[in-house]
Amino acid sequence: MEILLVEDNPSDAELALHALKKCTVANRVMRARDGAEALDFLFRRGEHSARGGEERPLLVLLDLKLPKVDGLQVLKEIKDDPKTKAIPVILLSSSKEESDMAAGYLLGVNSYIQKPVNFAEFQEVVRQLGMYWLLLNAKPPASAFPNT
Amino acid sequence: MDFLRLLFGPGDFMPHGYRYLWNPGLVWLHVISDVLIAASYFTIPFTLLWFTRKRRDLPFSWMFGLFGTFIVACGATNVMEVWNLWQVEYWLAGALKAVMAVASVGTAILLARLMPQALDDPSARQSINANPALETEVRERRALEVDLRSSENRYREQAELLQLTYDAVIVRNLKDEVTYWNRGAEELYGWRGEEVLGKVPYELLQTSFPKPRVEMEAETRETGYWEGELTQRRRDGSVIAVCSRWVLRRDAQGNPNGILESHRDITAKRGDRESLGRDEERNRVNEISFRLLIEAVKDYAIIGFDPNGMVTSWNDGAERLKGYKAEEIMGQHISRLYAQEDIAAGKLEEELQQAAATGHVKDQGWRVRKDGSRFWAEVVTTALRNPDGKLIGFVKIDRDITARRDSEKRIRDLNLELLEQLDQLGNVNRELESFSYSVSHDLRTPLRHVDGFARILKEEYSQEIPQEAIRYLDRILEGATRMGQLIDDLLNLARIGRKELKRKKLQMGSLVKEVMAELPAEAQERSIEWRIEPLPEMNCDPGLVKLVFANLLANAVKFTRKQAAAVIEVGTRTTDGQLTIFVRDNGVGFDPRYADKLFGVFQRLHRQEDFEGTGIGLVTVQRIIRRHGGEIWAESQLDAGTSFFFTLGPLAQPSDEAQSTEIKPA
Repeated sequence: MEILLVEDNPSDAELALHALKKCTVANRVMRARDGAEALDFLFRRGEHSARGGEERPLLVLLDLKLPKVDGLQVLKEIKDDPKTKAIPVILLSSSKEESDMAAGYLLGVNSYIQKPVNFAEFQEVVRQLGMYWLLLNAKPPASAFPNT
Repeated sequence: MDFLRLLFGPGDFMPHGYRYLWNPGLVWLHVISDVLIAASYFTIPFTLLWFTRKRRDLPFSWMFGLFGTFIVACGATNVMEVWNLWQVEYWLAGALKAVMAVASVGTAILLARLMPQALDDPSARQSINANPALETEVRERRALEVDLRSSENRYREQAELLQLTYDAVIVRNLKDEVTYWNRGAEELYGWRGEEVLGKVPYELLQTSFPKPRVEMEAETRETGYWEGELTQRRRDGSVIAVCSRWVLRRDAQGNPNGILESHRDITAKRGDRESLGRDEERNRVNEISFRLLIEAVKDYAIIGFDPNGMVTSWNDGAERLKGYKAEEIMGQHISRLYAQEDIAAGKLEEELQQAAATGHVKDQGWRVRKDGSRFWAEVVTTALRNPDGKLIGFVKIDRDITARRDSEKRIRDLNLELLEQLDQLGNVNRELESFSYSVSHDLRTPLRHVDGFARILKEEYSQEIPQEAIRYLDRILEGATRMGQLIDDLLNLARIGRKELKRKKLQMGSLVKEVMAELPAEAQERSIEWRIEPLPEMNCDPGLVKLVFANLLANAVKFTRKQAAAVIEVGTRTTDGQLTIFVRDNGVGFDPRYADKLFGVFQRLHRQEDFEGTGIGLVTVQRIIRRHGGEIWAESQLDAGTSFFFTLGPLAQPSDEAQSTEIKPA
């Protein structure tokens, strides 16, 4: 599992998966339908409590507007916990609303991307993200994840 | 030696003890008696010696010396008696006895010879008789001493009194020289005592006398006294009037030896007497003018009343304000002018008590006119006291401020209303904000889906669908793109409305350079001649003004697209003292007949297929400029280019030391 995609909208999720598949950088993508599910997965709670191994995503693609627990709250919990703090998180949002961007960066987001309306542009953005975070960027070492 | 041996040796004799057959009682009786006698004989000469030393005046003192020697010799024989009870030194004892005999006989003879002389000595006789007389004299002297001392005290007291008195006291001798000058004189005339001793006082003080001085002196010598008023000059030159008393002084023999003068300053009193009449007259004038003044005051009710609250004075203003004529209200109680509830609440009493305690009280409240109507009054109550501090009444000054109170209330009401509206406006703003937030998120999402799936369809299934369908897919994609553009532009427009204007100093030249670098790729790719004049520093919101240039420059680039040699200029000109910035292009221009539609939302002067656009850009520009307090207008002819002019309001005017930045063509 390389990417955790947190996206509630099925069309958006399908377009994102399509784009990821097209650019062939990511082989395994896990999808969470809301913030609560994403946190359960990351912290092995609820239906994910039985999940074994040391598997953790290399990258989290996080939609800003989510039901139950919204994107900023999910981000805060990931960055507050030493076990998940080092996982790169990218916020995906429809808008470049200043207050959202500021809040995201203050919580320690690694990148903030506005989803372009144009799908061709979106595909290009996804390709570049995959290239950068999965290939170019040096992954956090095991010692960046204590107590796991 | 033989003689000494003879004297101290035992010889052939027996000690005296043998005479008493060594009877212890007898022996000790002799021993003790002889020792006591010897001791007494030895001490007596010392007593005598001490006595003669103390009384050197005694006559025949040598007689005491002789007597002392005689007694010592007697003592020595007694000692020898004791010695010889056991020893046998009769020679020595005999020798001693011989010495004693000589002394005794000498003393006896001399004493006998002395007696007649001693009986004749007068001092001895006098001293006996003089004693009582002496005692009397001593008593008299003591009494005199006490007397002297008390009179000395009296004189000192008198001198101190002279120093204490405020009057100037001067003593002069018969040569008219000052011999005494008290503290009062020092203070009155300004000269110190040591400075004036020996000087002639009436010369020093330039005294002018009521009659010739010689006559006055004569009168004083004759009667011993003079009294009258004099004029003198102080050391500082000021002239004073004094009342003066002179007394002739005499010595013990009764001969005149000087004159004592006492002066009291009466300048002030004399002045008072003269000015008193004038003051009374002035007071009367003041009183009359004051009364006239009070009566003439029309806008203020000035009401006097006694400590019991009975009205004692009533001016025209009071009549006008309260409706009572003076003759109707004089002697009536002041409470008549108050609202019933205030009287019941004890407000009037409280007010008067406070005025009496603190001098005066300010207050506001309802007052009642004669016709029963009310007015809101501003009142100052002042307590009046006579010079002894006794309360003799009060004065109230009332003013009708009903109108002012009403307008104040109206202002307060309006302010409240305004605050409510502001609150509502705030709510509207917040709603608008959440609305545009939703728009930016929720309207875009379906648009993304339309675009996304249409594109997948077009790209991945192009082999399976007819060419015609692909053209439709293109239209769908175009529509989605345009819709996205519209949403962005509308959001921008909405954001300007709610964003707070934050002015700061901004180099317009640098800003234009920044905007040029961010223009669409087309601007970089085409060959455009940029003519950028030096631009000033201006005080404006950097983010918003950047949007102005971004829109205007992008427009210029867009509408010069069909020009072979595109020229875009940015510069300034000054009209009526106001700095105007212009952006000019040599593009297609527009028909000036439609100029009024230029700044309308969604209004466009060109067809979409000729020049793309949303019709929101210029509205946004205009809104930004108006928020700065400026104006924007355009001049154009078809195919002759367009010029946009704008100002940024008075607050944006460049400072004198503003620097210009040269912009190089991109």
